[in-house]
Amino acid sequence: MTGATTPDLAPPGSATLAAVDGWASDYVTIDGTERRLVEAALRCVTRWGIRKTSLDDIAREAAVSRATVYRMFPGGKDRLVEAVFCHEAGRLFHEIDADLANAATLEELLVSGITAMLRVVDDHAVVSSLIRHEPDLVLPHFAFHQLGRVLDLAEGLCRPHLERFLPPADVRPAAELLARVVLTFGFRPAAWVDPHDPDSIRRLVSTYLLPAITPSTDTHVLETT
Amino acid sequence: MSAAAAASPATGTTHRRIVDAAYACMARDGIAEVTLEDVARQAGLARATIYRAFPGGRDELVAAVVAAAVAEFFAGLQADIGEVADVTSLLERGLVAARRRLDEHAVLQRTLQAEADQIVPQLATVMPVIVELLAAELASRLARERLRPGVEVGEAADLLARLALSFIGTPGAWDMDDPAAVRRLVRGQLLAGVLDEGR
Repeated sequence: MTGATTPDLAPPGSATLAAVDGWASDYVTIDGTERRLVEAALRCVTRWGIRKTSLDDIAREAAVSRATVYRMFPGGKDRLVEAVFCHEAGRLFHEIDADLANAATLEELLVSGITAMLRVVDDHAVVSSLIRHEPDLVLPHFAFHQLGRVLDLAEGLCRPHLERFLPPADVRPAAELLARVVLTFGFRPAAWVDPHDPDSIRRLVSTYLLPAITPSTDTHVLETT
Repeated sequence: MSAAAAASPATGTTHRRIVDAAYACMARDGIAEVTLEDVARQAGLARATIYRAFPGGRDELVAAVVAAAVAEFFAGLQADIGEVADVTSLLERGLVAARRRLDEHAVLQRTLQAEADQIVPQLATVMPVIVELLAAELASRLARERLRPGVEVGEAADLLARLALSFIGTPGAWDMDDPAAVRRLVRGQLLAGVLDEGR
């Protein structure tokens, strides 16, 4: 593999890799082989980036046949990027699941969730280096019609948590709004939304987001329109 | 369509002619396929003239074409919306009109299908400027509205600009063809935390 020397990408054996311990199977259903493949793919992409990772590399890393990889990713590397990001989103939600489940209020839930997701972009070696080094391969997944799939994923990940506070019908719009907020400030940070300053996230949530996603707002709108 | 129609007048007619020609080539052959030779032929100019106008070569030219097309898109959008004083109408009319313009933008739609890897990063590059311009438009309206306690005009305008662009690009669960849905989105979500409606 000629790309093994790419210096700016996270080296193999980084903390990020060690953290890849499992798939959040509660959220995205995936069978044993696909999971093994996605985890192998993540290791390859961490070492070499997306462009220099071939499906053959992944087959070798996962110790499965090429045919298996091609059967699993008939869309080729496009589907691969998506799988890696879904995997990481699922894993992250799995990791912070206890925090989210213990949130006593909707405000607390949103502050925890948004803070954790925004920190990923800063701290997560794979995610942030992919966004920085291979924007042409990454950004299309987060814009226009392809973003629709990300919003669907966000709904699936957020639903069990939001349902504790919101009527089922309000979950989808709330999850969408939250995903859009995380993506815009994740990709293009703003000084007033700083994931390392809890007060700024609390302010974003309580001032701007809570009124937008709490049910009372809908009633109010219906009354005044 | 003249991609350079909305470009800065200071760029001059040669710049404009080259950008228009490059837009025509990109619309016809795709962004990845365009060469400066093609553009020179299309513009009826020497290749050296193009290099003089765009010392950064092909990359600079592609960026200029995208910037000009985006500027034209928003100039057209502004014309669609007309004069709007209040932030609620601006967002409601803006979302509907922008969505329609995007759907009807055949070149963009084709490019998104065939060359998302080329066009999306280009658009992402100009996005901060678009957010800033849109936020300024929104801020001037917000300054005249009664805001909820704690709301700061600059923050609200930044958030609204970002979210409006997100909903324009990807409506998600919202039906932008349904005026009632757009009203719910704008009044019930986007502005719910911003405007003080006497609650």
